[in-house]
Amino acid sequence: MATEALKRQIAGKWQNAFARLNRDQEGITGLLAFSEAWALATEFLHPRDLNGSMANKELDMVKVRLAVETLSKSKMLPILLENFLEDMRKQQYLITRDVNQFMLQYEETEDVHHIARLVYRILEWYRAWVPITELGHTILSAYTLTFQTHVYSILPPSFSRGFKKLVNATFDLAQSPVPPPWLPPTPPALQSPVPPPRPDLPLWSAFEQLGLLDRYESLISSVCYEHIEAHILETCSKRWGERMLQPLREWMTNRIVPWMVMPYARGARSAEEARSMLQGVGSRFDFHVCKTLSDLRTREIFDIIIDFPDSQPALEDLKECLQRVDQRTQLVQTLRKANRKRLLHPGADTKDILTQYVSIIRCLRLVDPPGVLLFKVADPIRRYLRERPDTIRCIVASLVGDGESGDSLVDENEPIQPLQQMQVEDYTDPSWEPEPIDAGPDFRTNKPSDVISTLVSIYDSKDLFVRELQVLLAQRLLAITDGNFDRERRNIEILKIRFGEAALQVCEVMLRDMTESKRTDQHVQSQKHMMLHPTIISRHFWPPLQAGKFAMPGQFKLIQDDYAREFHSFKQDKKLRWLPHLGTIRLEIELQDRTIPVDVPPLEAAFIELFSEKDTWTVDELIARVGSVDRSAAIKSLTTWVDMGVLKEEISNQYVLLEVAEDGSSVSTGGAPPRPARVIEEVSAVLTVEQQQAEQMRVYWKFIEGMLTNLGTLPLDRIQTMLKFAPGYDRTIEQLGAFMEAARREGLVTVANGMWKLSRT
Amino acid sequence: MEQLTRSLAPARTSHKSAVAGSGGEGAGSVTKRLSNELMTLMMSSSPGISAFPKSDANLFEWAGTIEGAPSTIYAGLTFKISISFPPNYPYAAPMIKFDTPCYHPNVDISGGSICLDILQDKWSAVYSVQTILLSLQSLLGEPNNASPLNPDAAHLWNSPEEFKAQLMRYYRPINDEGSA
Repeated sequence: MATEALKRQIAGKWQNAFARLNRDQEGITGLLAFSEAWALATEFLHPRDLNGSMANKELDMVKVRLAVETLSKSKMLPILLENFLEDMRKQQYLITRDVNQFMLQYEETEDVHHIARLVYRILEWYRAWVPITELGHTILSAYTLTFQTHVYSILPPSFSRGFKKLVNATFDLAQSPVPPPWLPPTPPALQSPVPPPRPDLPLWSAFEQLGLLDRYESLISSVCYEHIEAHILETCSKRWGERMLQPLREWMTNRIVPWMVMPYARGARSAEEARSMLQGVGSRFDFHVCKTLSDLRTREIFDIIIDFPDSQPALEDLKECLQRVDQRTQLVQTLRKANRKRLLHPGADTKDILTQYVSIIRCLRLVDPPGVLLFKVADPIRRYLRERPDTIRCIVASLVGDGESGDSLVDENEPIQPLQQMQVEDYTDPSWEPEPIDAGPDFRTNKPSDVISTLVSIYDSKDLFVRELQVLLAQRLLAITDGNFDRERRNIEILKIRFGEAALQVCEVMLRDMTESKRTDQHVQSQKHMMLHPTIISRHFWPPLQAGKFAMPGQFKLIQDDYAREFHSFKQDKKLRWLPHLGTIRLEIELQDRTIPVDVPPLEAAFIELFSEKDTWTVDELIARVGSVDRSAAIKSLTTWVDMGVLKEEISNQYVLLEVAEDGSSVSTGGAPPRPARVIEEVSAVLTVEQQQAEQMRVYWKFIEGMLTNLGTLPLDRIQTMLKFAPGYDRTIEQLGAFMEAARREGLVTVANGMWKLSRT
Repeated sequence: MEQLTRSLAPARTSHKSAVAGSGGEGAGSVTKRLSNELMTLMMSSSPGISAFPKSDANLFEWAGTIEGAPSTIYAGLTFKISISFPPNYPYAAPMIKFDTPCYHPNVDISGGSICLDILQDKWSAVYSVQTILLSLQSLLGEPNNASPLNPDAAHLWNSPEEFKAQLMRYYRPINDEGSA
């Protein structure tokens, strides 16, 4: 049925094919030569079982090359390749068998040794099946691709794990001069005439030839990351006393970079080339070093701050790391969390919080000079401190350098400077810089100021401090008995520099009162010698003192009056008002059988004076004689005498004078039953600021009572505005509301629809 | 040195303003006197008398409260009064009238005006709100029947039962008047 044209077409094709295969040889000799060459080439390329004979290697390579040339001329190479790949597919089960065997061993023993051997073995397969180079690049890469695709497809997941371990082991390999016993002998394919300088070289070249480096690139770098992390954790944890970043970088240069040459700079012909190849990956690892170190230091930051200034090198490291990696937010969050958990709770001493706060200030200034980090961290601390009642007291105590309170918040070497106010941005300053990029909206550019300014700025006004200072100074001045005020004078001078002269005028007056009293006393004594040496203070300038309401009886009264008379004749326009509960009295008590010299507070003296009138007193009688005294205070001072064996509690609440000492009672270790230890409470002479405020609130209550009596019911805001009639009223409406609420609970007022009314009694 | 002068400067000016305030006869000194009196009145707890400015804007208009002293015929009764201070106080007496109708020989029952010598010709600058209130309280118990504003009351004074009846007829307790 074939048409003429079809026949011609087939004949033409035939002729073409024949010409191609016969290559213009005579007859069919070319064809014969081709089929010989084909047979030889396929025989040579046939993937063999490694465990079988290595016969193909014995083929004459010259002949093989000739055969390949012949095939190439006949343009039959693609067919040859197809044929070869098909053969490979048929033989692949050999490799699969081997791989399974090695992986089975590895899974049983978890020994990387098996992985290394597996790698070498696969390499052997690869080398055994590789076609000769004369076949051209295309065939070679097609072979490699097919081989690797197959190998990767049969590697079980556990191989990645094993491979990771093996890579990890290369860190040690790279350093050891001789190959460790577990490393399998280098396969002949990788052997070179010169022994490798490092035992890990053959492994790496095996990895490369099998394409494992590309396939497991991320795994290899993660091994390196983990290695770096482990090293940093091991060497740097809790070591804050020295800079670690530089040694770490040296370690990188000495240990990691030589290792990195293998996976990342293979084939570099010169050191120069290697360096440029390593640059990218090297900076990635350097970043990782910085990040790991900054993470570590961030985790440790609270303790680092506690250790400051010993931990300064660690902070400098942190600073350098933070410039490289952006972990500032993490640092802030971690520190805030640590502060909340470890610092800002009721169990922490205010003093400790302040100390830590000051350390935080110093540390974060070091890490971040513009103060953005500090601002973010300090905010919760400052808010917390503001709520603590004794914060001001603590700051003030450290301002005047309270000797006994341990290490001072203020560095002695720091120059004393005036308190710094908030500064407005000076845009004309040539070195002005914009706010840092991560500064919050309410960030205040406070220029690095001294610690005290920062502490004082916890509160909105410094008046509170000045008031607390006066209270503190009053206590300290009254406690001085030896007349040496140099220390206080020095403190006041220091504080003047900080707070300004005007704020401390009152303190100045208080100090002058002390010296003035001494001079007045000298004058009075020169007129008439007296036993009394009072401290005369100007009531107006001193913080309110605890009012003592009792009167000194007997001879003390006479002495007081005597002194007052002399004083009045010296200073006509002034009047003495005694504060009898302050001070001490030196007594000599003459009894029938003994004389007791003793220094006692005034109330004790007053009582014992009364006992010179009669021998037996009840507590109530005594209290009635001296005026109004707390019963507990009275019993306390009587107990003082009982302890000294001067008085004795005969029956309950009745004391008798012991003119003759009782046996055993004067010796406290005697048969007398042990008395509960005397509670010595330091009654502060000066009203604290809180007490003063409570006192003020009493005044305001009178006003509230007055307005509600006369004006009927009032809403809270009217009360607030009306209270401006009360001198010095400075409460907020919230404080007033709380106060009114307290009054309501006590049943003093009622409230309905926001209108306050006095309860009618 | 600079600091020294700076600290001195405000002190000097404040001193000057204080001098001006006391020297001039302006409203400032009256206000000061009134707030002092208010302070004194609030802090002295005299039973049964009280007074307070009606609003925070005007210190010259006060409202007062007087309770009848115990063991007088007015015991247990509370009277509201208004106090109005003249601009030249304390050189002139404040004007005082009862807001609560008060049946009393020296009080006008309809207008509430009071006949008391220290509020008229016997006024002196040493008197204060407190002394006035105390005087009014004692006037309730001891009327001056010689110069009555309410002759009926003066007439009835010696018959307590009838007086009390009249008193209670006019008296209105001050309950929940709301704010003044």
